[in-house]
Amino acid sequence: MINSVEQYLSKLKKELSGSDRATIQDALSDAEEHLRTALNSATEADPQISEAEAMAAIVEKYGAPEEIAAAYKEIESRTPSSFARPIYKESEAEVAPEVAKPVVVDTRPFYVKFFGIFADLKAWGALLYLIFALGTGIIYFTWAVTGLSLSLGLLILIIGIPIAGLFLLSVRGIALVEGRIVEALLGVRMPRRPLFSRKDIGWWQKFKGMLTSQHTWTAIVYMTLQMPLGIIYFTVIITLIALSLWGIAIPILQLGFNMPVGQNWDTYYYLAGWMMPITVIGGILLLTGTMHLVKAAGRLHGNLAKAMLVRE
Amino acid sequence: MDELNEAIKKFQKELNGGTSSLVLLSVLDKAESPMYGYQIAKLIEAQTKDVDIMKQGALYPVLRSLESTGLLESEVEPSVSGPPRRYYRINEPGRMTLAKWIEIWHQTREFVDAILKGGDDD
Repeated sequence: MINSVEQYLSKLKKELSGSDRATIQDALSDAEEHLRTALNSATEADPQISEAEAMAAIVEKYGAPEEIAAAYKEIESRTPSSFARPIYKESEAEVAPEVAKPVVVDTRPFYVKFFGIFADLKAWGALLYLIFALGTGIIYFTWAVTGLSLSLGLLILIIGIPIAGLFLLSVRGIALVEGRIVEALLGVRMPRRPLFSRKDIGWWQKFKGMLTSQHTWTAIVYMTLQMPLGIIYFTVIITLIALSLWGIAIPILQLGFNMPVGQNWDTYYYLAGWMMPITVIGGILLLTGTMHLVKAAGRLHGNLAKAMLVRE
Repeated sequence: MDELNEAIKKFQKELNGGTSSLVLLSVLDKAESPMYGYQIAKLIEAQTKDVDIMKQGALYPVLRSLESTGLLESEVEPSVSGPPRRYYRINEPGRMTLAKWIEIWHQTREFVDAILKGGDDD
């Protein structure tokens, strides 16, 4: 018997266990929005009614947790993951969510697979994300460090507590926004809606809830980590791209503009003619390899973001 | 008996899979302003009275999937009492799709009715 909204939500969560975490979060916030609104209007219509009685009628109409969980699972299995390559979409969509993802054998020849990366939206999205990670990383890091030290430092005075509360709230907001960016650019499914805070508990309880939630702290760690990671991504990617473009451009620089490849005092170094095709081919291979590296790094970072920003 | 019940339920569920999208698009097409889930559920309840073939909770995932296919748009607004609400609104592709769906629905209904009635004539 379900007597309260919280009880319903925890049952729904249990029924959904095993599905995508972001789906669970969406399903829980839908259910909470509906059940609380329904409960409010039920008590307005009849102030005498007990919560348990009202809930029984509401759940009867809304559907039992197992039915609703099944409905979400079905929709999730029908929605293809964003950025899925169109030719594989159909085979992916047909598979039920419980079954492991089909092993799609890529039958394209090796060179098409290797150079096809330039037509892969995921790789370009990841490139954009990883380069911007330096900027977002600096912002997140500054915010996390300022917020933490300001709240901790002021905790000896009473105003530290509201500041800490606001800071923790902002962390949740940033986690959601970062999730949206990650989903758009890295194609990892992230929550689309914020978690509701419970209505039946006071401010102090909510504050304690945020303070003891593991998810808040992993989000702060993620924000702090984003800057060193962003610096590494940015440096490595820019270096590799610059190096490969240089390799490709050597013939133009040397033959067209008489630019040497190196200089030691008044000695100028030029490459022999037969070396130029090698640097060009090397540059093209390195550029393509960089795109593969970027795609792989994007996938890893997406998984990191999911593990640290989405609540279990 | 259980198996038979299961088959009956399954038929209803499979039908709902298609009709719920049609119903929701049509409700939002007629609506003058964006609506949130509970409002939509109440409206459907009021218009269909005794017929109870769709759980209200099952409407939400359909709304979500209609949004992800680009037929609906939504935004979250805080409410005075209770959690923030997601307001859904139909867009131009949604309206065009709805017109086609209504056509298909009429054809399907005529088709099925013709077969069902055909049995009676014999």
